[in-house]
This record gives sequence, structure tokens and C-alpha cells, in this order.
Amino acid sequence: MSMAMQSQFNFYDSQSFYDEMFDKDLTVRMHYEGVHRTFARMKPPELAARHATMQQRMLEEGITFTLYAQDQSEPLERTIPFDYIPRIIPRHEWESIERGMKQRVKALNAFIRDIYHEQAIVKDGIIPRSMIIGNTYFRPEMAGLHVPQNVYMTASGIDLIRDEKGRYFVLEDNLRTPSGFSYLYKGRSLMSELFSELYLSSAVADIERSLNIFLSSLRSLAPSGKRDPLIVLLTPGAYNSAYFEHAFLAQQMGIHLVEGRDLVYKDHKIYLRDLRGLRQVDVIYRRLDDEYLDPLAFQSDSLLGVPGLMNAYRAGNIAIANAPGTGVADDKAVYAYVPDMIRYYSGEEPILDNVPTYVLARKEDREYALANLDQLVVKETSLSGGYGMLIGPAASQKEIHTFADAIRRDPSRYIAQTTMKLSRAPVMLGGAMQPRHIDLRVFVLMGGSQMHVIPGGLTRVALQEGSLVVNSSQGGGVKDTWVLSR
Amino acid sequence: MLNRNAEALFWIGRYMERAENHARLIDVHFHLQAEDTLAIPRSDGGTIKQTLCKWGRIVDALGSRSSYEQQYGSYTEQDVVHYITLDRDNANSLVTCVNHARDNVRTLREKLPSELWDVTNGFYLWLREKQAGDLTHESPHQFFSRIKEWTSLFHGITQSVMPRENEWHFIECGRYLERTENTLRIMQSAIMTRSLSPSEEGDNFEIYPYLQAVLRSVSGYQTFRRYYADGVSPDAIIEFLVLNEVFPRSVHFSLHELDAHLRGIELQEKQLRSAHDRIIRQVVKLKAELACLEREDLQMDPEGKVTGHLLQAAGQLGAAFAQTFFRFGEVSA
Repeated sequence: MSMAMQSQFNFYDSQSFYDEMFDKDLTVRMHYEGVHRTFARMKPPELAARHATMQQRMLEEGITFTLYAQDQSEPLERTIPFDYIPRIIPRHEWESIERGMKQRVKALNAFIRDIYHEQAIVKDGIIPRSMIIGNTYFRPEMAGLHVPQNVYMTASGIDLIRDEKGRYFVLEDNLRTPSGFSYLYKGRSLMSELFSELYLSSAVADIERSLNIFLSSLRSLAPSGKRDPLIVLLTPGAYNSAYFEHAFLAQQMGIHLVEGRDLVYKDHKIYLRDLRGLRQVDVIYRRLDDEYLDPLAFQSDSLLGVPGLMNAYRAGNIAIANAPGTGVADDKAVYAYVPDMIRYYSGEEPILDNVPTYVLARKEDREYALANLDQLVVKETSLSGGYGMLIGPAASQKEIHTFADAIRRDPSRYIAQTTMKLSRAPVMLGGAMQPRHIDLRVFVLMGGSQMHVIPGGLTRVALQEGSLVVNSSQGGGVKDTWVLSR
Repeated sequence: MLNRNAEALFWIGRYMERAENHARLIDVHFHLQAEDTLAIPRSDGGTIKQTLCKWGRIVDALGSRSSYEQQYGSYTEQDVVHYITLDRDNANSLVTCVNHARDNVRTLREKLPSELWDVTNGFYLWLREKQAGDLTHESPHQFFSRIKEWTSLFHGITQSVMPRENEWHFIECGRYLERTENTLRIMQSAIMTRSLSPSEEGDNFEIYPYLQAVLRSVSGYQTFRRYYADGVSPDAIIEFLVLNEVFPRSVHFSLHELDAHLRGIELQEKQLRSAHDRIIRQVVKLKAELACLEREDLQMDPEGKVTGHLLQAAGQLGAAFAQTFFRFGEVSA
């Protein structure tokens, strides 16, 4: 190891965290050798040039998300920070993640179906009824309703982290309208174009076919099994922060990108209003939340949805992906019961574990948590996006007190989790590799007859040194994720 | 207009289109990973399994495998990229095509909009400066994107400022005849791939990236999706590339454009007019054959007989052009 390279590792303390690239003694892990060689060899000017090219390309292609800040009159449109040192997952490791993902999503789907039909899991005492009835995302409208192919979640995004030993844990399930597909695909095309030699010599599992499977999954939901179903992607509109993703997916899958006002309800069917008149829509891939879908059924002042959509849905004339009401299973309190669900519905032991979680509605969990708040992470159960969190080890006494009071006032609003020592991966900052915490959002696609996990997924990076918050709304960045195919 | 002017114009259209197609094809294939084994039909009717990596396929699609092998021997990325782009000894390389187009524009400078000379000359001068290392070490994708920008600029200028007279029609005839041939060549490589995939509907797992590359190389991916949705199969792609009526790089579309521009050419000389009519009839006959082609004909064609026949017909059209309009000119294909 040369002296020049040695100096890079002064940033590194690999003692307390698992590092994706380096072993405990700072040797490069075998599956990272090619990547490490490539980046260690590059001179700062070259790295800077690549970075500039990448930024330029992202701006040109409009790979941006919109940030609405309270003190800003103009929303910020910014490129998501993209780090070009890929995250690499060896094949055998991925295979077990893939099995775990399929097992988990299958159980979650069975759970949601059960909740809106027999509720056997409640009757058998596995999950308390209050978890369901009190759940913000429970949709009574879905009770007893048959959804096409019994598929509730065409697309799910499951977030994985690794602890200091490198073991994978599920951090949360995103089952409503998970996003990040476009960053995954754009990240891959940027890497394959800007680092083509490295990419081509690395035998990376293909992700293009997954888009085709995504489309097949949507098509498989068409009621009456039409040969040529009309599929639309329902977006809240161009001002939505994930609009780039909506446009990207519609374009790649060749489906129509529509807003609520482009759709019409008539005779228990949904029609698309276009130059050719009204055409019946078979499948809606929606990227807006339940409460905005149909002002007649949910939030009555919403202008984003389609009045009557739920009637058409009940009549079996339209498929909605993901189905309304899937949020009942991605609530942070229900999360604690997912391992039990897996055992209950499949009779198998979970392949992927949950992060140890305390349900604060339970007395003994609550008492333990209140006594140990300085070591725990506390999350609100009805909010997503990294807001409303307490990170105990990093919080002041005052913050801890505030949270303790809030927990005592309304314990069922919170869960607490062991603070995980998130694994880290090197990012390129100022011409040197520096370790930053990461997680991994894995995307699972489910159709009428098949289940598919997109190889790799979206690695999210907390760019602030020492920070554990990876959400892009909180300034996190992303990396391309390579699953080695040999 | 002189015969040699007509010939020069026709070849300007051809060379510019060829440069663009080469850039498209190599750019897309560059990002393909799979090193796979393709069945290569042997002249004695048998089939040998031999490893032909994507680089071999690129050379194959550009129709010059034997000359490449004589010169370079094996298929490596560096060699193939150099051969296709910067090799001045390769009659089909990018730099040769652009150079020929520029020479031809030069002989016609007084008849053509000056902007056309400026762009062709600029294109050539830019390309001449490129070294093999520039392509592979930086971003090949950016290089090929620039090539497409240059050719788009050229076509944009012809579109927006050329009078719709014989000069214009000759350039366009060259362009669409070249495009017909190119699309057919790309399809032949798709047919080779089809012979590898399982016959039943379903898992094109191995060849999916390649099929997608075929579509992307003609920028047909999004249009294809609109017509075939998730049915990405070699059969569907071949059908799309031959028969689609609205996709501007399909064989159908190119032939119809060729026909229209051919009819746009106005001739005074009686003898020439009857020869001109003969070519038009030849194109009409080919269009009719295409109209009679069914899905099944293309699917029942494992050896690529149909595409082979179409390619041959396109070659005959090129020859007919030469005999009719150029007469004394050398045809340099």
C-alpha cells in the first residue's frame, strides 16, 4: 500500500462500524478490489472532472427533486447528491436478501388481505385489535373488497441496514407509494456511461429487465384479463417532489402519465379523456396517497383524485396499484409484528430480522424505553420521511425530556428501537474517500403470477459526517448498487 | 444537374446516415455486458457454436467481419472501437464516412447552402482531432452523443434551408436507402439472437439486455413500448423494425420515404425518365412485398431469409440508382 493511499485512510476508523469496502484491518474486501483500484488510482483533477460531468448530466436530464422548505418562497429544484463509488453486494449475500424479501412481502400481502377479510391473525391473538382499528392507514372501505389477483402491493420498497457485524436488518417497509426507482435507474446509466470500463469489467446483474417485469406486473392486474389493457400512472402533478420519477417511469413503461382531472368516472368505470374521446382505463398505478384518491370516499376537498374511483374499484372495473389501505402494514408499530406475521402465514422463520423494537403502547416496553431514551431511537408511528424522530445518543437532555413527556401523553404514537450502528461505505469527498453511513432500499415487484426483486436497489447515504439520516428530503445522497452476477 | 452531382448528393445522404447509424449502434452496444455464445451459421449449412462477444456482433452488424478479421485478428474493445470510428483504412469507419461526405459537399459548394458546408467541414475537423484514447478513457457515450448531434445538425440544416428540388431529393434518397439497409442489418443480428432463445413465450432472461440494445440503438425503445408493452421478444422487435408505419427508422417507413423522394426528382431527358420510372416500379414492388408480409412470415424465418431477401433488394436499388443517374460514376459502397 503506497503512502499516498495510506493518507486517505486517516479518515477511517473502522473499529466501531461495519465498513462495506474495508475489513477491520483496512484491507480491501475481495469483492471491492476492482472498484477500489479504480478510485484509488484516480487523480483529484480527474475525479473532479467526472463529478462535474455527472452534475451536468443530471441537470440536463432533469434528475431532480423539489424541496419545499418553510422559509423559502421559491421551491428548490436540486439534483440529488450522487456519489460515484458504487456499493457492491456479492452474489451469495444477495441471494439470501432476495429470499428474505420475497418471504417478507408475501407475508405482508397475506396480512393485508387478512386484515380486510377474515382478520384471522387478530382472532388468533397474534396482533392486538387496537393496532388495526386505531391505525391511521386502516381503510374500512377496503373491508371485504376483492382486489385483482389478490395483489395489494405491486411495488414495495423495503429498507435494509447492516449492523457492526455486517448482518442485515429490515429498518422499515414502504408499502404505499415507495419512491426511488428513477434514482436507481439513472444512477445505473450514469455509472455505465461515465465509468464504463469499471462497470463492464464487474459483471453487474442487469436491472433493465426489471422495468419490463414492473410493466408485466401492472398488466397482470387488469380486470377481465384484457389482452391490451390501458394503464396510467396517476401523479399529483408537476409540483410534486417526486415528479421526475413519475415522468421517468411512465416513459420507460410506455404508460400514460395522467392527473386526476384527465380521468372521468362514468357507469362504474374509469375513462381517460384524450383527443380520441373517452377510453376505458384498466389499471391505475397511483403515486398519490390514499386520502387524495377519491374525494367522494376519502378527503372530500382533494382536487388530485377522481371522484367515483372507489365505486369503479368496488365494481371490479379498475385495478389500483398499490391498493388503498396497504399503509396498515407499513405503520411503524405494526412493523414490530412482521416477524410474527411471517411465522403465522408461511410457517417459516424470518430470513431477514427486524431491528429490535419496543412498542411503547406495551407497559413493560414503555418503562424500559423511558429509562433508556439516551440509547434508543424513537419514531412516530404515523409520520414518514425522517421527521419526528429522536436519536437518543445524539440528543440533548432537553430534547429527551420533551420526547419523554410526549411518550407519556400518547404512548401508542411512538415506537423505540435499539440504536443500530449503521454500516458505512466510502464516499468521494474533496478528492478522498471518507466513510458515511448508508442503508439500502430494496424494491420488490409483485404481479399476478410472479414476484421479483430488483437486483441491488437504491443505496442511500447520510452525507453529513456521523449522521444517520439518509432520507433525500433531509439532504441524503445516493449510490449505485451492484449485485455481482458471478 | 450533372450526373456526378447527383451521385455526390446521393452519397452525402448515405454517408451521413451511415455515420449516425454506426454511432448509435456502437454506443448502445458499448454498454452491453453479456459475453455470450452465438451460433454462427457456417457456409456448409452446419452451425458452429463460437464465442462472439458483443464486439464481434458490432462488427457483424456493420457488415464487415471478414475485413476486420484480416486486419485485427481478434475482437477487443479497443480494436473494434478504433476500427469503427477512427480507422481511415476502413471504408465504413466514421471518419471515412464523414470525410467522403465532406469531399462530396466540397464539389457542390456553389449549389448548396453554405451552412451545409460549414457543418460538414466542422464535423470532419472535430472528428479528425480525436485519438483512440479519447474515446475509451473518457466517456464513449459522450463521444457518440456528439456524433449524433453533428448528424442532427446536418439534417436540421437540410430540412430548414434547402429548396425542395432535385438536390434535396437526392440527399434524402441516399439517406433512406442507407437507413433501410442499416435497420435490416441490425435485424439480422437480432435474428441470430432469436435462434438462441427458448421458443416458448417467457423467459428471455439472457438476451433481454441485448434486445433492448437493439431497440435503443434505433431510439425505438419508447415507441416499441407503446405498441408492444412488455412483450419484448425477438419476434416482436423484428416485426416492429420491419412493419411499423410511424416509426421513422423502420424498414416500412424508410421505403415509403424513399419512394416519395424518388418521385420528387424531376427529369427532362426522355431516356432518363423511363429509367427513373423503372426504379420507382422497383421500389413500389418492394413496398408491396412488405405490405404482404405477415407476422408469421417473419416468425417462421429462423435463418433470416426474409431479411436477407430484403437486404438483397435494397442492394439492387442502390445498383439501379447508380445505373440510372450516375452512369459514369464509380459506386463506392
